[in-house]
Amino acid sequence: MLTRHSVLTGALFLAVYGFQLATVDQIHLPLGGFSLFLIFVLSWSALSAPEIGAVAGFFAGFLLDISPTASGPIGEWTLILTVVGFGIAFLRYGDDSLRTNPLSLVVMVAFSVVVAMGAYLLLTLMLGSDLGNTWQAFKTILGNGLWTLAIAPFVLPIASRLHRVVFETRELA
Amino acid sequence: MRYGGDNRSRLLLVTLIVTSLFLITLDLRGVSVVTGLRHGAQSAIAPFQRVTSTAFRPIGNFFSDVAHLGRTRAQLKKLEDDNSLLRKSIIRNKDLVTEVKQLKSILDLSGTAGYKIVNARIISQGTSASFSQSITIDVGTNMHVTRDMTVICGDGLVGVVKEVYSSSALVMLVSDPGFHVGARIAGSQEIGILSGEGTDVGTLQLLESQSSVKVGDILLARGSVNGKPFVPGVPIGVVTSVPNAAGLVSQLAKVRYFVRLHSLGLVAVVLKPPTSDPRDALVPLPPAPIPTPTVTVYITPEATPSPSATPIKK
Repeated sequence: MLTRHSVLTGALFLAVYGFQLATVDQIHLPLGGFSLFLIFVLSWSALSAPEIGAVAGFFAGFLLDISPTASGPIGEWTLILTVVGFGIAFLRYGDDSLRTNPLSLVVMVAFSVVVAMGAYLLLTLMLGSDLGNTWQAFKTILGNGLWTLAIAPFVLPIASRLHRVVFETRELA
Repeated sequence: MRYGGDNRSRLLLVTLIVTSLFLITLDLRGVSVVTGLRHGAQSAIAPFQRVTSTAFRPIGNFFSDVAHLGRTRAQLKKLEDDNSLLRKSIIRNKDLVTEVKQLKSILDLSGTAGYKIVNARIISQGTSASFSQSITIDVGTNMHVTRDMTVICGDGLVGVVKEVYSSSALVMLVSDPGFHVGARIAGSQEIGILSGEGTDVGTLQLLESQSSVKVGDILLARGSVNGKPFVPGVPIGVVTSVPNAAGLVSQLAKVRYFVRLHSLGLVAVVLKPPTSDPRDALVPLPPAPIPTPTVTVYITPEATPSPSATPIKK
């Protein structure tokens, strides 16, 4: 059962990751656009148990790390998404009101995206890499948060349905 | 119900974090296996990116362009304004260059003759409705300008001051139909009266019937008593035609003014005439002839072909 879950989750992540690189990244949106992959992964983690969220975050982070456009060292996104994936799953599991309220889930995913990107910015700066203009980086993070608020309501139902198919559990409609 | 977690999940989390840190360490230490993963990922994804890039190229920049529409418009406006300012600056520079040239020629003329002058800018051209030829200059009694003072520019006589105000003055142009000036022909010193006709050409009437004038003669102002209204020696124009009509009491000639009255910018009012008559010192130099290139063609005659003894085959 675990193998089936892992393979299906991995295949889904790979598909979204490929779609992100090949399609979403081709569209130049204002305020830096959005990361469909991050939204999907964090939504997936939010729908999962904390340990599943952490593993999902680990795998997704690794994919982001080997992305040609990643500027930090390999393992940086892995570390961040492991912690954030675990965190969002842990918070969602701990609060019943969040479980039953899709709007709060959207806000939580958007907040997680901002936290993940902020952590990436901070860690990259700590590791001595150059990310260019800091104000521009902050604008990109904020823009991603806003875009996520707009996109997540469309991604969440799909992620929820796929999650239910993979784990055969009842989740948000 | 709050999720408490257990040792297994904590151990999993710690393991994942440690693995991440291990990966970071490996990458920072430059382990080629790890860095090679990015090259592999890029190689795998590149064909898809190429295909989608072709498909999305027309709309790729659409959203950002829409978002930056206002900014682009503002930039366009700013560039147009800058362009307009630069164009004005170029025109102003050209004006300044022209004015400098005019001032230099005025100073050359007045310096040679020994006139004491005050420079003036033309602030208004006379209206054609009154059929008079006049200009208004920006100096008046404030610069000690009085009536009947000679007005010149670098090329010669412009006119005479007719009315003076506190900071401006009205100048009757040499082309005004009511303008008359005593003139003499440089060289022969024949004298006559030059009258304006409302055009760039005036009429000279010599005072003595025995005097003669020919095309190309240069006219200078003869000068008045105390230099008013005309100081002596100012170039006026050149004779362009001499009508040969029988029965005329005195000789007439058409004179083209040296001054281009329609393109005046700066002029000078002669405040004080020279102590001595400059005579012909202000006669403008004839334009230097443009050297005509001479083309020499050498032709070497070729040997005359001799008739051939070979019969022509048919």
